[in-house]
Amino acid sequence: MSHIVEIKTEVRDETAISAACQRLKLEAPTQGTAKLFSDTATGTIVKLPGWRYPAVFDTQSGQARFDNYEGRWGEQRQLDRFLQGYAVEKTKIEARKKGHTVTEQSQADGSIKLTVSVGGAA
Amino acid sequence: MSTRTIEIIVESNGSTRVQTRGFTGSACIDASRFIEEALGKRTSERKTPEFFQVADERQRLREGGG
Repeated sequence: MSHIVEIKTEVRDETAISAACQRLKLEAPTQGTAKLFSDTATGTIVKLPGWRYPAVFDTQSGQARFDNYEGRWGEQRQLDRFLQGYAVEKTKIEARKKGHTVTEQSQADGSIKLTVSVGGAA
Repeated sequence: MSTRTIEIIVESNGSTRVQTRGFTGSACIDASRFIEEALGKRTSERKTPEFFQVADERQRLREGGG
């Protein structure tokens, strides 16, 4: 009747990236090539608060490229917060595509609980 | 009819845990697959005791010929 799956988030959806930026009141993402410390990265560019260089998401691979110098050029929690916002928005987008309703609740430990109600056949 | 829900916990580091509730047998696996695939890569999966209760009952029925 029930199963539990744990998932490492991969960032592959432009719409959900934009929604996450709006949710966290960040600048809208842009497409292009961004300079990191000693390199460049091409993809969807997101500017995180307090970060010297942006995070660049390759939506083909789902991976991010960034250079925060182990936190000295940008706090890890800002990237984590973005990933959390992305996962929430992506879940909502996919559930609504299926016609399901979604409710969201913030939890005391900082996590966010989403409940998707799966309707019966009409 | 019981309420069927998919519960997703999004941790503060962005990792997620998807759990189904109220489904019959393996229907839960099909029901939540679209969200699991959309979010990223599975790092673990386990069936909860409820899942096995249903499986055990079916096996007992088969073995008992009934």
